[in-house]
Amino acid sequence: MTAAIETRDLTRRFKRQLAVDAVSMTVPDKAVYGFLGRNGAGKTTTLKMLLGLIRPSGGSALVGGVDVARDRIGAARKVGALLEAHGFYGNLSARENLDLTRALLGLPKGEIDRVLEVVEMTDHARRRVSDYSLGMRQRLGLARAMLGAPPVLILDEPTNGLDPDGIADMRRFLKALPERTGATVLLSSHLLGEIEQTATHVGILSHGKLVLEGELSRLKADLAPEIALQTDDAVRATALARARGFDVAATDDGLTARLKPGEDARTASASLNRALVEADIAVFAIGARSRSLEGIYREVSPPAPVANVKARPEFA
Amino acid sequence: MTAPFFAPLMVEARKLNRSLAALLAVAAPSLIALFTFFNMLRGEEPAPWDMWMISACGIWAFFMLPMSVTALTALVAHMEHGPRSWDHLRALPLPRWRLYAAKAVCVLAVAAMMSAAVLAMTWGAVALAAAIKPQLQPVGVFDLAKYAGLMGRMFAAAVLMIAIQLWVALRWASFVPALAVGIGGTFFSVVATSAKQGVFFPWQMPVNMLATDAWRAQTALVLGLGLGLAAMVAALIHLSRREVL
Repeated sequence: MTAAIETRDLTRRFKRQLAVDAVSMTVPDKAVYGFLGRNGAGKTTTLKMLLGLIRPSGGSALVGGVDVARDRIGAARKVGALLEAHGFYGNLSARENLDLTRALLGLPKGEIDRVLEVVEMTDHARRRVSDYSLGMRQRLGLARAMLGAPPVLILDEPTNGLDPDGIADMRRFLKALPERTGATVLLSSHLLGEIEQTATHVGILSHGKLVLEGELSRLKADLAPEIALQTDDAVRATALARARGFDVAATDDGLTARLKPGEDARTASASLNRALVEADIAVFAIGARSRSLEGIYREVSPPAPVANVKARPEFA
Repeated sequence: MTAPFFAPLMVEARKLNRSLAALLAVAAPSLIALFTFFNMLRGEEPAPWDMWMISACGIWAFFMLPMSVTALTALVAHMEHGPRSWDHLRALPLPRWRLYAAKAVCVLAVAAMMSAAVLAMTWGAVALAAAIKPQLQPVGVFDLAKYAGLMGRMFAAAVLMIAIQLWVALRWASFVPALAVGIGGTFFSVVATSAKQGVFFPWQMPVNMLATDAWRAQTALVLGLGLGLAAMVAALIHLSRREVL
């Protein structure tokens, strides 16, 4: 499978601050790639380098096989972007805003109707953008990104600031996007649930480094499942499970015992259950469950030490 | 997909058309015409056309033109700074210098139209005042070619000032640096109008087209236009290459 986006050792330094540290990422063609990371992890800086808005300090970025540093315009022809700052002219209608970009791209007038239809905004297109809700602006931003049907869409935090209904609406829309447009989607977010429900692939950025990347279903399958359990004595249950070789952590709803890779979850659950009962510990619930994206994320992306938190600017 | 070469210019003109630029373009020349109208009505004796028209050109050159350019360049820049649309524009597949050049051409075009409007509106104000008070009918000839030539030279000498104002307005997202430069330049233009050194001061170059010394007028014209075009090219190169963080 060819890569729609590929970076090799992509690095960006702002004076003494290393914002992006040798990131080598691969976004497969037709994937919905969730680009995860905390605020300030370097996501926006990476996306800006992919769009040629800022220059890398080192490494390279290829979009559709075109090196962004060598041929920015060639690479830009393959990308549509929704950035955090929408840049709409509030005194103009949605249609007029789209028409300005359409004219700059040299596209036929019919493109506006096509993209408005894709984002289901045809009925609102004559309203001034200043009257739009944030959700409508996000959808209009998507429409503008899709002008000219670019093969790659880069969406920076498309659910930022949306209310729950807006998030659900956007999630539904993003899920259907590759099917409706045939585009590869690179989607940055710090909302794990959104990515888990939308993406086919993920890349996790932590402190400027890409710490994990791959197909989401495979990542979840490759990682050993865990056993969730609820008992009447968490302290004794923890000690007992640890004595049997489990890595145990307390969670909001009980305990989680992590299995060793290759260990059969059902057998391990039954064995642990038997041991707990024999030790006279009441077991309210026990069962194997696959690892969530949140679990994966927490494991590979530890929070920054307090002293470093404020040192990383977000260049939006 | 390849955009026509002049697409950014057309887009810029459309944005400008929907902004308050038209109001500004009408307001500044109107104020000069209004002043001329009431000033003329105060008089009892007729004055030559030259006096009214060249006075209007003078007011335009040393005060109203610098202020109008300050306001116009700030407005043009804030059409993008305000909604933070630079990232969107600069990510598009077209040479960035064309985006900035389109803005420069639009500013120059509006400034040229305002200059022409000063002449037209002043003529209208004088004609109206003469119609109300016929004894004030101006004497002498209305030498349009002379006035247009003078206004054209003032416009050409203003290119350096326009380039500097546009550069500052586009470079900084806040309008404060552009306003500070414009107000400062206009201030020195007003308080030191007759200073010999004014010939080298961008904000005074237009008014030096009225200088009786030929060398002053020529020097200001050559510097204003020549350095202005060079500064405009330098601004386009700098703005299109710089990173907007």
